[in-house]
Amino acid sequence: MGIESLLLTTLRMSIPLVIAAMGGIFATRSGMMAMGLESMMLFGAFGAVWCSYLTGNVFLGFLTGVLFGMVFGLTYAVLTIRFQVNQVIGGIALNLFTVACTTVLMQFVWGNAGNSPAVNSLEGSVNIGILAEIPVIGPVLSGMSINFYIAILLIAATTFVMFHTCFGLRLRMIGENPTAASTLGIKVRGYKYLAMLICGALAGFAGAYLSIDQLNMFSKDMIAGKGYIVVVMLALGKYNPVGAALAALLFGFSDALQINLQQMFSVPAQLVQMLPYIVTILVITFAVRHVKGPAGTGKLPEE
Amino acid sequence: MNSVEMKHIIKRYPLVTAVDDVDFCVESGEIHCLLGENGAGKTTLMKILYGMTMPDGGSILVNGQETDFRNPNDAIHSGLSMVHQHFQLVPVLSVAENVVVGQEGQAFFHFNKKKAVQEVQQLIERYGFHIDATKKVGELSVGEQQRVEIIKALYRKAKILILDEPTAVLTPQEVEELFVVMREMRSMGITIIIITHKLKEAVEISDHVSVMRDGKMIQSGIPTAQCTVESLANMMVGRQMSLSSTRRTKNKGDVVAELKNLTVVKKGKKVVDNVSFSIHAGEIFGIAGVEGNGQTELIEALTGLIRPESMSLKVDGKQLHGGANGFLRGGVGHVPENRNTRGLISQMTVAENMILGYHRTERFSKKGILNLGEIHAFAKQGIADYAIKVPNENELVSSLSGGNQQKVVISRVFSENPRFIVVAQPTRGVDVGAMEYIHDVLLNLRDAGAAILLISADLDEVIRLSDTLSVIYEGKLVSTTPADTLTELQIGQLMLTGSNEEVEER
Repeated sequence: MGIESLLLTTLRMSIPLVIAAMGGIFATRSGMMAMGLESMMLFGAFGAVWCSYLTGNVFLGFLTGVLFGMVFGLTYAVLTIRFQVNQVIGGIALNLFTVACTTVLMQFVWGNAGNSPAVNSLEGSVNIGILAEIPVIGPVLSGMSINFYIAILLIAATTFVMFHTCFGLRLRMIGENPTAASTLGIKVRGYKYLAMLICGALAGFAGAYLSIDQLNMFSKDMIAGKGYIVVVMLALGKYNPVGAALAALLFGFSDALQINLQQMFSVPAQLVQMLPYIVTILVITFAVRHVKGPAGTGKLPEE
Repeated sequence: MNSVEMKHIIKRYPLVTAVDDVDFCVESGEIHCLLGENGAGKTTLMKILYGMTMPDGGSILVNGQETDFRNPNDAIHSGLSMVHQHFQLVPVLSVAENVVVGQEGQAFFHFNKKKAVQEVQQLIERYGFHIDATKKVGELSVGEQQRVEIIKALYRKAKILILDEPTAVLTPQEVEELFVVMREMRSMGITIIIITHKLKEAVEISDHVSVMRDGKMIQSGIPTAQCTVESLANMMVGRQMSLSSTRRTKNKGDVVAELKNLTVVKKGKKVVDNVSFSIHAGEIFGIAGVEGNGQTELIEALTGLIRPESMSLKVDGKQLHGGANGFLRGGVGHVPENRNTRGLISQMTVAENMILGYHRTERFSKKGILNLGEIHAFAKQGIADYAIKVPNENELVSSLSGGNQQKVVISRVFSENPRFIVVAQPTRGVDVGAMEYIHDVLLNLRDAGAAILLISADLDEVIRLSDTLSVIYEGKLVSTTPADTLTELQIGQLMLTGSNEEVEER
């Protein structure tokens, strides 16, 4: 396998993880577990394809993906804040619901519960003159879509918002101790809703990337646990944007390796496809045991 | 003029009326003490004033103006600030961040850390606190954390400051420092309401006192000059109290518990450092200390909950082995520090909780089948013996008050007649009545010949009960003396610095 192709696939596989992880950081830092990410990503992926199918416009597709993600971000927030459902249970319930819901919608829209037809998707790559001339990296970069650069911008933006704005400071305070924040007059619930909307938007965007950038269609349960993997990544990256992005590279790499191994050896595909999940288990077992999330996770201010 | 006027305030909860038609007035620029036992409704009343809890009736005037606070933000805008009993701080954020958050005074989309640190550091210096604004709050001592809370209020330009049980976690020295700060704030025109159940402090610091009991205002705004500790105690409890009476041991027997070379290492640090002591039959060995100086680990080692680096513990000459169960069988009783995490299962009944840990004894079960008749008879007896206020033994422990919960723990532990009892924070969060009762039970048990190790953050309690008093500092017992040899101030000094030498007055 060529190192360039491995690198290219690693980056491509990492992009959706990075984007979703930035959303996850807004959620977790405000004390909301990112358990519902899977549903936001899946619904985003579906919405993007649906819109692209109807309008033929890829940009509108992405926009719809983002909006659909926000819908589920909001739903998760309503469940866990308004109705105080346990965050893990609420998240898993939403994730299961979305698989069923998108399957039914597929049957409804396309008469096929397995796959959507091919739709218009993001084509072509962005070439930044000077970068393309760097050896090894250059050719890889020139194969990347615009979303690669957006993902990098998102890492920087998330870092800035989280650590260099009053908004970020308040969000972190809420995540650590919602009661303390509320005694200072910060409207804890409002910030949590806002954080979940941002999280949903980015997760929906990540889903749209998977369906109309990486692919050009929607298929049943196409997120396949990536939402959960992001939850693990967040812990591995200690809930910091750069850390989470590096963790995304690790998982992107294991995904890329898996794809390359499939091409090289004639082993059953299912066997190598387990690789990213095995990495997840290893990371959970050995790397994130002692990582502590924000202290106020899952809590609302006391009356 | 009155800073605060609360009229006919009512707050009902499903089971109790927490605040029952209360009137409360505070003059501008005074220190006003709101006195009452745990559960008397003081904190609820203040939370209503601070907009955290909505009253079911009544009206509130702040600086003569009718208010209708919907949340703390409204209260803050009217110049109120509250320092909660449980500090509302985030340990992983810096002092400056903790102080400014919510009112950064900066553009929303850009937070200038340096500027915030500068502002907060200035404020800290102006009040003569010695705290570094860039430090993480988690690295500060309890006393320093409290000062951060006060700085938070000052930063918000509070005109009325509510302090909820500010002295509960402080050493006598720190209390004095706090009082100095409070007087200084008063001289700057800040009105201070201090909630406490400590009578001595109320008499020392306040200009006026109001006393609450069972949700009602018993006396409002009495000039402190007309009060004595005794008169306040009687108002607070509603009957005559004997707060300072105690009795020392008369018949000290042989050594029952002998501990040698206990060392506990946590994260590479010796949290308990080569501690040895022996406790005789009929002796209460009290350990005073600021929380977090190794008390928890000491308790855990003595009750077999953790395995220390080194320890030899003999009870009645027999070396103890194994885990918690082995220690229990070896005659070590344990009244844990925190009854909610280690002492009780709150979603189980009183009867079930009374046999926890002893459920396998022949008396309560045979071949794994519980002898319910015996268990209930035993529980009924315990409820009667320890005057536990509960309709019957099938009530959930969670429905009991703190004092009665603690009595359940104590009745369980004491009913087995352990030779050596580790008693930690026996009266934390219980009302004065239950406290008096628990102290009495402990003294009786001692007189009956038990060896008792008492570990408490409440210095008054340690002084009152101990026959031998020791002070723990950074995992070491820095002083062990017979009762009544050291003054309260000397003990405080030992708790704070680990040594008894006079230090310069700050």
